[in-house]
Amino acid sequence: MPKIVFIDADGTTREVQAEIGQSLMSAAVQNGIDAIAAECGGSCACGTCHCYIDGEWVERLPSPEFQEQDMIECVVNPNERSRLSCQITVSAELDGLVVHLPAGQY
Amino acid sequence: MIEASPSGDAANFTFAPLSPEFARDPHPTYRALREKEGLHYFADFDIWLASRFEDVSAIVMDKRMVRSLEDIATVEELAKLQRDANWHDMPHHERFVQFSLLDSDGAVHDRLRKQVFKLFTPAMIAKLRDQIQAYVDRLIDSLADRGEIDFVDDLAAHVPGHIIGRLLGVPDEDCPQLRIWSENIVQFFDVDRSDARKEIAERNTTEFYEYLTALKAERERAPKDDLISVLIEAELSGAMNFDEFISTCMLILMAGHGSTIDVLGSGMHALLRFPEQMARLRNEPGLIQTGVQEMFRYESPLPFFHRHCVEDVEICGRRFERGTKFGLLYGAANRDPKQFDNADTFDIGRTPNRHLAFGGGVHFCLGNHLARLDMDIIFSTLLRRFPTIELVDREPEYKRGLSVRGPKKLKIALRHA
Repeated sequence: MPKIVFIDADGTTREVQAEIGQSLMSAAVQNGIDAIAAECGGSCACGTCHCYIDGEWVERLPSPEFQEQDMIECVVNPNERSRLSCQITVSAELDGLVVHLPAGQY
Repeated sequence: MIEASPSGDAANFTFAPLSPEFARDPHPTYRALREKEGLHYFADFDIWLASRFEDVSAIVMDKRMVRSLEDIATVEELAKLQRDANWHDMPHHERFVQFSLLDSDGAVHDRLRKQVFKLFTPAMIAKLRDQIQAYVDRLIDSLADRGEIDFVDDLAAHVPGHIIGRLLGVPDEDCPQLRIWSENIVQFFDVDRSDARKEIAERNTTEFYEYLTALKAERERAPKDDLISVLIEAELSGAMNFDEFISTCMLILMAGHGSTIDVLGSGMHALLRFPEQMARLRNEPGLIQTGVQEMFRYESPLPFFHRHCVEDVEICGRRFERGTKFGLLYGAANRDPKQFDNADTFDIGRTPNRHLAFGGGVHFCLGNHLARLDMDIIFSTLLRRFPTIELVDREPEYKRGLSVRGPKKLKIALRHA
């Protein structure tokens, strides 16, 4: 199972084991990462599973599709590392992925 | 504090969602439904009801589950369903209410939602805070010395419609009329499908349509910084047609009224029923966001929505044919003890609080941030200004029906000491 590292806005670090094939959002929610609200449940319809991808991982992830790009413009404090965690599928290649969490989704 | 409701009898109960007993307290029924195996068939609506959190969220997230029957039923079947619902022979209602962003799916839904989504994001809604606060302050000033008020009619009912009206671009003085039209049209969705109500719904839809057409012409001549002007741009660019324009404006206005008023009412009622929670919110005003979330979970204002499956599906070990209609009981799912610790406890600090009151999936409530901001401001302001708020009528009457949840009236006392 790939390991994902979540870092809270206050710097607290948590490692979780994700399942291959699930979304990064599901891995967060199942492991009690409350900063990922994911209110629509993973349909790219609410913009509340926003996160920032660490360092070189940005280039290693498949690029966001049009709908995700559109939604990222609407989240709170977006930057060039912003992604919606519901649109990222966990794979073996993502073992060790480091994800920074925003201070809030609203 | 745990609400004292009798335990439901899973094997033997009557499902009577239009009864006064259900309006008074639907939760024993919801509990009994959750304890039944599988889904519950409700013959009156020819619908399979899901009540457990797990089942409701699975259906709402399932891409095979849609709102509209358009791609499932034949034209003749659709016409029959429309007649059975007494939704036929009402040309404007059919054009602008029966078709909408809410009742479309797939590419049409994505295209329409995209035109309005950006105006309802947290960052955009947060910009409205000062004007909502100013409006609420003025309204409360006008009520402050009355002692007793009806929280629903005198306060809650004025705010959401007024704010959504401003966002859309409706002049302030027209908002009361829009509220009347909206309520009359929405009422025809649920409790009363009589010919008398049908006539009112069609007449009000026509008046609403004529009003919006005139307002549109005005904005075409002189655009403003409002949602109507954004939608006019969308129409000009070919992203929506005229009927979709009118329908989207109506939907936003209708959705922006009733449900927020209802949850304001039930939220205030909950704070008054559980005074230790109100005291906690007074002492820790920072809990307002989780408090508002809890109000939506505890008495979800739109407790029932439906979906149809576009292919055969299996749920809870049972096979359902393509076209089967499913009822999503958000009000029941949001009290499911398997999802929420002490699910019947009203806890304003509850976190996480992953409830389904805003639905889920692609139809996730567009206006959720606006509703939450309205509530945040109203409750925070009242608690700041009135050291004592008390319930006057101990047993307020709640609206009847499966699709709505909220008190009709809520008599409260506001005291300066």
